[in-house]
Amino acid sequence: MISNPISLMIAVPLIAMVVAFMTKTRSQARIVALIGSLVPLAISLQMFMEFDKTSEIMQFVESYDWVPSLGVKYTVGVDGIGLPLVLLSTIVSILVVVYAWGENTRPNQFFALLLLNEVGVLGVFTALDFFLFYIFWEIVLIPMYFLIGIWGGPRKDYSAIKFFIYTHVASLVMLLSIFALYFTYRTPAGGRTFDMLTLIQATSDSTLFSPMLVNVIFLGLLFGFLVKMPAVPFHTWLPDAHVEAPTAGSVILAALLLKMGGYGLFRVIVPMMPNVSEHYVTLMAIIGVVSILYGAFLALSQKDIKKMVAYSSVSHMGYVLLGAGAFTWLSVQGAMFQQFSHGLITCVLFMSAGTIGHTAGTRIIPELGGLADRMPKFAVLMMMGFLASLGLPGMCGFIAEFTVLTGSYATLPVYTLIVIFGGIVVTAGYHLWAMQKVMFGPILKKYLDLHDPHSYELLSMSILVFLIVYFGVNPAPIMDIMGVAAEQLIEGPVMTLAQMGVV
Amino acid sequence: MYSDYAYLIVGLPILAFVLTIFLGWHLPKGGGFITVLATIGALILSVGIFKEIFPTDTIVHQSAHWFANFNVGILIDPLAIVMLLMVSFVCTMIHIFALGYMDGDPGLARYFAEAGLFTAAMLGLVFSDNLLQLFIFWELVGVCSYLLIGFWYRKPCAASAAKKAFLVTRVGDIMFLAGMILLYTNMAKLGLPEGTYLLQFQTIYENLVHLPSGQMTAIALLIFGGAVGKSGQFPLHVWLPDAMEGPTTVSAMIHAATMVTAGVYLVARMFPLFYAAPNALMVVAYIGGFTAFFAATMGLVMFDIKRVLAYSTISQLGYMMLSLGAGAAVGAAAVGVGIFHLVGHSFFKALLFLCAGSVIHAVDTNDMREMGGVLRSMKWTGLTMLAGALALVGFPLTTGFYSKDEILVAAFENGLYGLGWLPYAFGAVTVLLTAVYSFRLWFTTFDGEPRTDYGKHESPWVMVGPLVILAICALFMGYPTQDTFYDYVGNNFDHYGVDFDELAVVGGHHIEHEAAHEPFIIKILPIILCVGGILIAALFYSRWKKLDPGIVTSKNDPLRKIVLRRYYQHEIYTGWLAEKVVYGLALVSNVFDLKIVDGAVNKISKLTVGLGGNVRRVQTGVIQNYITAIVLGLTVLLVVVKLGMEVAI
Amino acid sequence: MVPLVLYVLLASTMFVVGLYGLMTQRNGIKLMMCVEILLNSANINLVAFSAHLPNVDGQVFALFSIALAAAEAGVGFAILILLYRLYGTIELDNINALRW
Repeated sequence: MISNPISLMIAVPLIAMVVAFMTKTRSQARIVALIGSLVPLAISLQMFMEFDKTSEIMQFVESYDWVPSLGVKYTVGVDGIGLPLVLLSTIVSILVVVYAWGENTRPNQFFALLLLNEVGVLGVFTALDFFLFYIFWEIVLIPMYFLIGIWGGPRKDYSAIKFFIYTHVASLVMLLSIFALYFTYRTPAGGRTFDMLTLIQATSDSTLFSPMLVNVIFLGLLFGFLVKMPAVPFHTWLPDAHVEAPTAGSVILAALLLKMGGYGLFRVIVPMMPNVSEHYVTLMAIIGVVSILYGAFLALSQKDIKKMVAYSSVSHMGYVLLGAGAFTWLSVQGAMFQQFSHGLITCVLFMSAGTIGHTAGTRIIPELGGLADRMPKFAVLMMMGFLASLGLPGMCGFIAEFTVLTGSYATLPVYTLIVIFGGIVVTAGYHLWAMQKVMFGPILKKYLDLHDPHSYELLSMSILVFLIVYFGVNPAPIMDIMGVAAEQLIEGPVMTLAQMGVV
Repeated sequence: MYSDYAYLIVGLPILAFVLTIFLGWHLPKGGGFITVLATIGALILSVGIFKEIFPTDTIVHQSAHWFANFNVGILIDPLAIVMLLMVSFVCTMIHIFALGYMDGDPGLARYFAEAGLFTAAMLGLVFSDNLLQLFIFWELVGVCSYLLIGFWYRKPCAASAAKKAFLVTRVGDIMFLAGMILLYTNMAKLGLPEGTYLLQFQTIYENLVHLPSGQMTAIALLIFGGAVGKSGQFPLHVWLPDAMEGPTTVSAMIHAATMVTAGVYLVARMFPLFYAAPNALMVVAYIGGFTAFFAATMGLVMFDIKRVLAYSTISQLGYMMLSLGAGAAVGAAAVGVGIFHLVGHSFFKALLFLCAGSVIHAVDTNDMREMGGVLRSMKWTGLTMLAGALALVGFPLTTGFYSKDEILVAAFENGLYGLGWLPYAFGAVTVLLTAVYSFRLWFTTFDGEPRTDYGKHESPWVMVGPLVILAICALFMGYPTQDTFYDYVGNNFDHYGVDFDELAVVGGHHIEHEAAHEPFIIKILPIILCVGGILIAALFYSRWKKLDPGIVTSKNDPLRKIVLRRYYQHEIYTGWLAEKVVYGLALVSNVFDLKIVDGAVNKISKLTVGLGGNVRRVQTGVIQNYITAIVLGLTVLLVVVKLGMEVAI
Repeated sequence: MVPLVLYVLLASTMFVVGLYGLMTQRNGIKLMMCVEILLNSANINLVAFSAHLPNVDGQVFALFSIALAAAEAGVGFAILILLYRLYGTIELDNINALRW
């Protein structure tokens, strides 16, 4: 029982980051990083245990005045939308630290940046004040920029800057929408507020927000989130960033940073959907479907396995958009679960790509072959990841995709059928093709002296695979709290913290 | 009492999978005995449950909440129990055989782990009480087949065949998925009470009559699409012959017990739905009949012993589908007949494959042209294979005879209405073809003179034992059980109160209740055709060879060429559809993405940078220029202000 | 008593001279001198108006300005000396390392 779990969870990695920066050796830095990410994991697990899973109100809320004159508050809390992602962030963060255990280049900075990243994403998933939310949203860019820019591959400068500017422009558009909300709404006392739930609830008030204004605000926010997700056609920063980023960076980028966009969808966009024009819902569905299909086809054509995995992320995040756009109970919780499951699965995929890259020396699929012969354990883990990614039942990806598709069919039948018939086989195709080329067949001569990667890499991958299978067989612990949150999103107007009675 | 432990039917093989994959490396024979014991355990449980529910004519149903609107559950009704018995029995035989056959392979532990999972998946598929759970095990079966076909993953053709099997069945699976989603949505519209599990079979059966007819036809066709993929029906049969790249025991499992029968089982399981959608049933009959014929033609010309058997499997599965499709005329009895053929087929096909494996084990080649006269060194194998072949062709009094006969009668009755005669014609001709290719295989392999110098020894008892047991089943199981079987399984849906008359009204087809009097010739025709086919094969291929195959076809015969190339399916599916159309589309979208989508982004950034580059030229760095600009600007400003003031005044 | 306009004329002339110098000269020292002329023209104006009004504020400002000019000259010439050491010239056109 901790009194302020969320603040503590954010503060510990922040402090650990400072300490890690100041360490001198690799072993010190990684121990600090391990502790700094173990504590948030413990706290988030504790929160998950204590969380009232049948209630849709915000829990663990903390609220303090920060800049009272501007209406800025430090407000954090979690509900069924945020908690699974908090859990995902803490799990992935520590596993990334474990995976990167052998990092040799400037290890103190490397681990410090990983911790800063964790601070940022945890903040995004818990902040309930737009001001705070935006700060955390932007904090995340900084470590990722440096991770790509310092530890990246040959085109790291281009990719790092592209990543930064592209997503930053999107954030600025989102910021404009936030300002539009901020300057339109006045609290009963006459002041301004950045409180997220209050502002979102206010958009349903048509005397305050004209339909035109709501639509514009909606589009601005949507754009900010779509770029982050990323959805076609705003996805092109992603493959570049992934290809150049170090493995740990790629894992965090795909598993956590993309989820921020999806989180924004559920926190902000979905509650606003009843107030905006129907056309935007159709737009979301179309973008979702196009992302799924187009991402899958792009992945099929890639030679670089990491780029293939990057495009598969685009494809999988399309399900989130489709599920959110369909706006049914089943589809929305499926989309939330897709976020969670993609977070786990994509970690394994990027770790596999990274391990292949640094053991075999190349990630170009046609140049690889027969690795399973020399790396049997790794081959099993990688295959589990690939099978999970192509939506094999018994693993969490299937549960998510099935729920999204089943839920979406009720409101968007045509789009759903397009996805089923156009996307699923191609998705299976590129995964299996890559597996076959990389792992199977006779081993090439130049790879004869390869062997299984370091035990810490295998360890973090096997933990992920275990979680993937566990949540594929028993999704209920996560799915149930998502279901409660989804029901609230579909049925009701958003409740403010005051209406929930938690502040 | 046994039914309380029904979950162990799947639990034991899964446990075996976990144990062998982690500990198998350290155990003798890769821990194969664990898998065998687990499968025997599943068999014992199945027998126990059968003994409980058969005399009382009850069913076992257990269910628990899973997530959202879905449940997990166990449903053991007559249809399921016969499948459970068959799968666990045949798998036990195959696993025992594999102890001998796979001995010495370095991946032994992996083999037995995957085989255990394969068994578990199939058993789980059979006893699922809802469509979603069935689908999950269905896919698990698919992935196990992927793993096992690609068992010798160092061989490129094995890896490729595994991928092909997975992808082609996946095409069927997405149709199944779509059908399931369609069914769910339609069920959800009925307004059933909160908390009803909409994909539970019982719920589906009970509410079928309320579903819109057009939707039902669509659902039935989509679900049948899944069965087409899994059961290797035309046009998704292409993966099945390639699946021969795996070990022979895997082929036996896939072909007899654990995979291809899943599609037939699915259609049987959803039979009330199909019955209410007669157009879909007609499609089932047509596809089934055509597949039976089409595959048999290819079976005639193959030289690989396993491929002949593979095409015969496709052909026999066509019969099963044909039988279910004939359900429009004969009602739920079709399920009894179809499943009887399925069970009988699984005995003799497992037998045939294991015999082929035994031969290959000794002879060390797949090519029948390199065999000949094997009977001399392998008496047990040869004789048991003869038993299997007799059952396969439907020789009178063997198991295959009864079911095939019934199927053709049902198809004939179905053919009395509308356009249904064509499937019957296909089915009848196929009897002849089956007899010819089966005995071509047997004569070429076991009869005549050795054509090459191959290894001559009988297989060990651990391999021959299962063959003998299966041969006994294949020969003698049919006669004593058939009538009870038809009744027991045919009345499966009575447990749920499914009213087929009402469904017939929904489906809009008239059912003729008084049994049509089929002419005597229809009864006797299969026997004539089958015996005739054996004689033809004997004329061409046995030691009493009277005729040369060359008189029927020549090397340049275009028909022969087409059949030998397997109707150019490989060229069409892999060469054209996969590599040209889909991969081409992928390449085009890649170029589009790089040039247009990302090109636009880069263009915008180039424009911005370019604009800045031009504007910064103004900053010359020469202070004098700045001062001049300031002075000029100030002057202009002053003049403007002054003029403005004057105008204002 | 000299009329105010003459002071203003003087200051304007000095200002224009300084400005002209700034706009045409390239040599650092000359530029510094021109800046001084500009400053002093402003000082003359301040003192002249201060005497004219009369209000002592202007003269105070002029003193401030002179002090500031001294400081500025100190820093400015120091920079110029360093530049000379570095480049061997104080022709400012040649010193453009930070230009595009």
